[in-house]
Amino acid sequence: MLVFVARRLVVSFFIVLASTALMYVLVALSGNPLQRLLEYNGPGRAERIAARTRALNLDVPVPGRYVLWLQDVGRCIVPGGDDCTMGLDAQSRPVLPQLQSAIGSTLRLVIAATVLALLLGVITGIVTALRQYSTFDYGVTLIAFLCFSLPLFWVSTLLKQYVAIDLNSWLANPEMTYAALLGVALIAGLIWAVVIGGERRTRLIVFGVSAVATFTTLFVLLTTNWFRRPTMGLLGILLIGLVMAFLWAALFAGLRPRTRRVLYSALAAAAAGTVVVALAGPLMRSMTWWSFIAVSLVIIGVGVAAGLVGGGHVKRLAAQIGGLVGVTVVVLMAIDQMLGAYPYVYRRTGGRPIPTTGSETPNLDGNFWQTNLDLALHLLLPTLAIMLISFASYTRYTRASMLDVLNQDYVRTARAKGLNERTVIVRHSFRNALIPLATLVAFDFAGVLGGAVVTETVFGWSGMGLMFQRGLTNVDPNPVMAFFLVTAVATVVFNMIADIAYAYLDPRIRLS
Amino acid sequence: MTDQRPSSEGHERIEAQMERLVATDTDVLEVEPAATAIPVAARSSARTIVNRFVRHRAAMGGLVALVLIVLLVFSSIGIGPIPGWWPLDYRVPQAILNGGKPTLQLWPFSLGAHPFGQDNIGRDYFALVMAGAQQSIIIAFLVGVIGSAIGTVIGALAGYFRGWTESVLMRITDVIITIPLVAIAAVVAKGANGRGGVWLLGLFLGFVTWTGLARIVRGEFLSLREKEFVDAARSVGVPSGRIIFRHILPNTIGVIIVSATLAMSSAILLESALSFLGFGVQPPNTSLGQLINNYRSAMGPRPWLFWWPGLFIVAIALAVNFIGDGLRDAFDPRQNRQKA
Amino acid sequence: MTSTTDATPPAGWEDQYVEPILEVTGLGVDFRVDGEWVMASEGVDLRIRPGEVLALVGESGSGKSVSSMAILGLLPGNARVTGSAKLRGKELIGIPKPQLRAVRGNDIGLIFQEPMTALNPVLTVGFQVAEIILSHQNVTPQEARDRVVELFRLVDLPNPEAKVDAYPHQLSGGQRQRVMIAMAIACDPVLLIADEPTTALDVTVQAEILDLLRDLHRRLDSAILLITHDMGVVADLADDVVVMRDGHVVERGPIRQLFSQPQQEYTRDLLAAVPHLGADIAAGALSVQDRPTEDEVVTGAPDGGPTPALELEHVSIEYPGRGRTPAFRAVDDVSLAIAPGEVVGLVGESGSGKTTVGRAVVSLLPVAEGAIRVGGTNLAGLSRRELLPLRRRSAIVFQDPGSSLNPRMTIGESIGEPLFLHEKLRKEALNRRVEALLDQVKLPHAYRNRYPHELSGGQRQRVGIARALSLRPQLLVADEPTSALDVSVQAHVLELFQELQREQGFACLFISHDLAVVEILSSRIAVMRNGRLVEQGSREDVLLNPQDPYTRRLIAAAPVPDPDEQGARRAERARVLAAGAGDKD
Repeated sequence: MLVFVARRLVVSFFIVLASTALMYVLVALSGNPLQRLLEYNGPGRAERIAARTRALNLDVPVPGRYVLWLQDVGRCIVPGGDDCTMGLDAQSRPVLPQLQSAIGSTLRLVIAATVLALLLGVITGIVTALRQYSTFDYGVTLIAFLCFSLPLFWVSTLLKQYVAIDLNSWLANPEMTYAALLGVALIAGLIWAVVIGGERRTRLIVFGVSAVATFTTLFVLLTTNWFRRPTMGLLGILLIGLVMAFLWAALFAGLRPRTRRVLYSALAAAAAGTVVVALAGPLMRSMTWWSFIAVSLVIIGVGVAAGLVGGGHVKRLAAQIGGLVGVTVVVLMAIDQMLGAYPYVYRRTGGRPIPTTGSETPNLDGNFWQTNLDLALHLLLPTLAIMLISFASYTRYTRASMLDVLNQDYVRTARAKGLNERTVIVRHSFRNALIPLATLVAFDFAGVLGGAVVTETVFGWSGMGLMFQRGLTNVDPNPVMAFFLVTAVATVVFNMIADIAYAYLDPRIRLS
Repeated sequence: MTDQRPSSEGHERIEAQMERLVATDTDVLEVEPAATAIPVAARSSARTIVNRFVRHRAAMGGLVALVLIVLLVFSSIGIGPIPGWWPLDYRVPQAILNGGKPTLQLWPFSLGAHPFGQDNIGRDYFALVMAGAQQSIIIAFLVGVIGSAIGTVIGALAGYFRGWTESVLMRITDVIITIPLVAIAAVVAKGANGRGGVWLLGLFLGFVTWTGLARIVRGEFLSLREKEFVDAARSVGVPSGRIIFRHILPNTIGVIIVSATLAMSSAILLESALSFLGFGVQPPNTSLGQLINNYRSAMGPRPWLFWWPGLFIVAIALAVNFIGDGLRDAFDPRQNRQKA
Repeated sequence: MTSTTDATPPAGWEDQYVEPILEVTGLGVDFRVDGEWVMASEGVDLRIRPGEVLALVGESGSGKSVSSMAILGLLPGNARVTGSAKLRGKELIGIPKPQLRAVRGNDIGLIFQEPMTALNPVLTVGFQVAEIILSHQNVTPQEARDRVVELFRLVDLPNPEAKVDAYPHQLSGGQRQRVMIAMAIACDPVLLIADEPTTALDVTVQAEILDLLRDLHRRLDSAILLITHDMGVVADLADDVVVMRDGHVVERGPIRQLFSQPQQEYTRDLLAAVPHLGADIAAGALSVQDRPTEDEVVTGAPDGGPTPALELEHVSIEYPGRGRTPAFRAVDDVSLAIAPGEVVGLVGESGSGKTTVGRAVVSLLPVAEGAIRVGGTNLAGLSRRELLPLRRRSAIVFQDPGSSLNPRMTIGESIGEPLFLHEKLRKEALNRRVEALLDQVKLPHAYRNRYPHELSGGQRQRVGIARALSLRPQLLVADEPTSALDVSVQAHVLELFQELQREQGFACLFISHDLAVVEILSSRIAVMRNGRLVEQGSREDVLLNPQDPYTRRLIAAAPVPDPDEQGARRAERARVLAAGAGDKD
């Protein structure tokens, strides 16, 4: 494993070297950095030209310039390098500080989009594969094709121009007519009926139950003014935690007598986790990343312990599911706290909580939860826009991969052994279907980074995309190269993670 | 370390299995040759492919839509010096009628004076969108053709010769794949714009969009070169060039056509994204992406300036995507539709 | 049910009434393909009594596998099953899924053909066996694991405790099939369905697996439904036989009766088409006389005698390593000579290097050491250009009729390409030659314009032969040309091959894993194992009086399509194995 990582790092280093060299030459060929100054006729023309030539080493031929740039970058790798600048821009300012301020927001956006697209795409892909040629399958296929055909900037603009404005207006005055409520409920019912599928009778029942549930929930939330002061509370965490624990146990262990203990320990994990959340109450106001991680670890640990204690013969499985329940409780806790932070953010953003420009509200000055809620809200629309294409390709790919696996001999063997459908799918198909996906994630990551360039422009983020675009427009090579350096390193690292995941999923592959 | 891919073998095996399960083999105690001497009208594989494509409803819909769009786009304002049936020039401002709102009416159908409305200085937006769509289609086509040609050649050479040829070519591909396409395309397009027009832009973009196909073609070649019919050709001394182009390439044509089609649909999107960022088509030329970029600020008061080019991009890309999907099903019937 | 094809059960078929384990009546399967129902099997009746082995025999497309999968509801979604299948009086067709699941694996165990793909690659084999026990019995994981070790011991897996945690790719093909068998018997089923259980295995491994099945059958007393195309396997294991063709039952009866007095013409043809090891020597010892004798060949090389058509001198062949994988020596120090007009059989199991030798002879692979002389010219170290004229002298026929013809070229183009390249024939002249070649392999001229997918497997193999013979080579390498074909088709192709060889007199290196096929064709036999030539000599010497222990094992392991003879051979094999125990690796 270590040998593998070391070897990959060496290979990756050369790939990054080659790709930056290629891009440096292309960028250098794309235009003359002095063009504007040459057309400029004002005073100090000669000095300006000289200054820029010096800053960008324009008196050196392109290959030499690349080596000089490499030196500038190299100083950042050498420990204690004080003159780490990553080169100067056309205004003779070092690039590094600009990059430092830009990199955080962009990576946040890119990682959020990748993770969400992967999660949703895989789940949707699996369900469509299991419901091949159903209405749901055709619907998702159509949506995927639509996503493939939507220009990113167009969608972003649409989201910004219509969704954000309307949603903000509604949130300022959250009311619904009975007709609208009924409409939403019917649509929700329809979606669930299509997703779950089955016999006509099942569909009707699903439709009815989910429509009524949606209607009631929305009605209660609206009448209690939940959308102005949203909250979940300990009771909410407990209830949702218990339901999720039940679902996880049913999905990964089944509800047969033999695994009944897994269910019980999962439910216990949810309850115990909620107790920890309650005990940690005083910590919430002054939460930092460190204390958040500590609390999370305690909750997950309690879940695992519940599994180990209550699991009996199936201890390991119960502990794994207990841990999963712990993670669920952590997520619920975070959501609960962020909901509590909503009124503050709402006030500070002047009643427009869904932002359309920038990556954070300036001078928000909030606590841990308020800051993170603000960041999350800023991420909402750009992430949604970038996600679409990745989501579509993950869905299609997972579906194809899953269908392929379901046709394999070993799945037939599993059926011939008399295993139930849940086991056949979760244990014998799901993991195998994920194997080819690992490679796709790495490729897709570069695409998402490209998407970030476009989306940042639309939403006015001052991230790396903007840095790239402005640098290229002004024929300013070093900021552009900083962008390429970061993307190349990120892609290479993602590739390596994908390969490790690949080896983890597939025992036939050995990392050496 | 990633040469273990059970999936494609799996496909073939399942297919073979299904064939075995379903077919009633005529080979059992073979029919005497004399009995079948009458020439039978053979169903050629080309016709089978066409049949499968025609049966794919979404693909046929996409094809019809694409043909209609192309006809509309090129006939309305004409091609180059040849005039079209639409009287207004996209460069000439007109008097603004009714705030420049679109006059298109679907029922009863009528175009009116300015079916897609007018822009803020009164130019006819229908003519503008048609002009932009022309450029976008030309660029997409160029990018698709050039990218596919380069990708095919590189993939074929790497897959057939293996050894250092493969190493070098595939390392180059790996390097380019680590760079976000939009970014490298922007750099290249920026370079192209300093030198020439739309055609050069298409050509340059073709130079950076071949990597996906190169990998696919290489994969196909790697598996096909191990087939016995290639060995058979090599054993009688067929030269490498003839093996590549006469024996292996025709067997990958399906993959190439499908990829080329899909490359064109992504090229439409790529061009529009570049134009939107300001690196694509430059004035006085126009394209769909550039129209959206131009009128972004005017979107509030004149939303149609935003909608029409966007809808055209989506319609063209969607149609091409559906055609690609249909072609894939037609060439590769392994996942054939069998309704239970 | 069509009564014409269904044979009347012979007398004595149901003399003593025992309640059958499985009773199948009127079973039919259809597949929906492109909106139409295609029949795969129809009106199949089967009865299996406790402790009985029933063989379901048939060639490709006979519906034998489909019928057995239908019993357990394991067919894909586009299948429709009619009729009835009762397990101990309980109906299986059309019952709700949970009830069917309780039967699968628990009452009926299944063994599939491809041990390679029938096991999940990402789970340990121990777990895959344990989960069947866990899902049918109320035991703890530890108990299940202990039971798995016990089962692995029962199926003779070496080092069972360690194998529990192994992944399928870490086991050999035979070991994987043992795991499959352990899985199938894990819950003590009353019926085992074995679908071509040994087809993917080498002949010596096949013999071991058959022994294991017989042994288990005796010890566990479960009934076995054996599905196979191999008459030798049937003769080895079965009590009763049902013959299927085109989805219908053709004939049924006890094994001895069916093998000695087949009632239906199809059964007779089928049995006649199966090559029978030892039969050719016994029947036609005279026919070998007119072939060159062993002495002539071995000594006839340097002076006086004719130049050998092929001569291998201490040949070693390596597959170059890639990256950090070292080079693999597939063939090591092989020497062999073939006289003009002589047919030499090269026999070996998978991985023995026999195919590698064949490929090197037609210059598809370079030689690492030694010399290969075709008609006296050494191929080693020649450039492409220098090789070109030599390529006319030798030709190769490949194994897989599915991939040996270019799918995008017509039959005519495929056959004509060597003529186009070497004799520069064009248009009319080329057409005439192609038609003549089609005549030779007994295919109609009209096939010239067809594509390979429009031909059956046997027809494609005829095209492959025509292409190989187009330049009238002095040497033909036939690499398992019939092993992918059904036996009846194989018989026709072999017949054609012999006829052409007699007419044209080319020398031939006939590569095969099947001793019986080699026996029919060749005058001399060479045996390879792990890249080395272990024995060569006249076919009588090698087959009747093998010297090398491996050859002896190989011959003893090949099943013959005769139940009595096979029984005797089994005893003989046990003796050979006992004697050669020290040799076993």
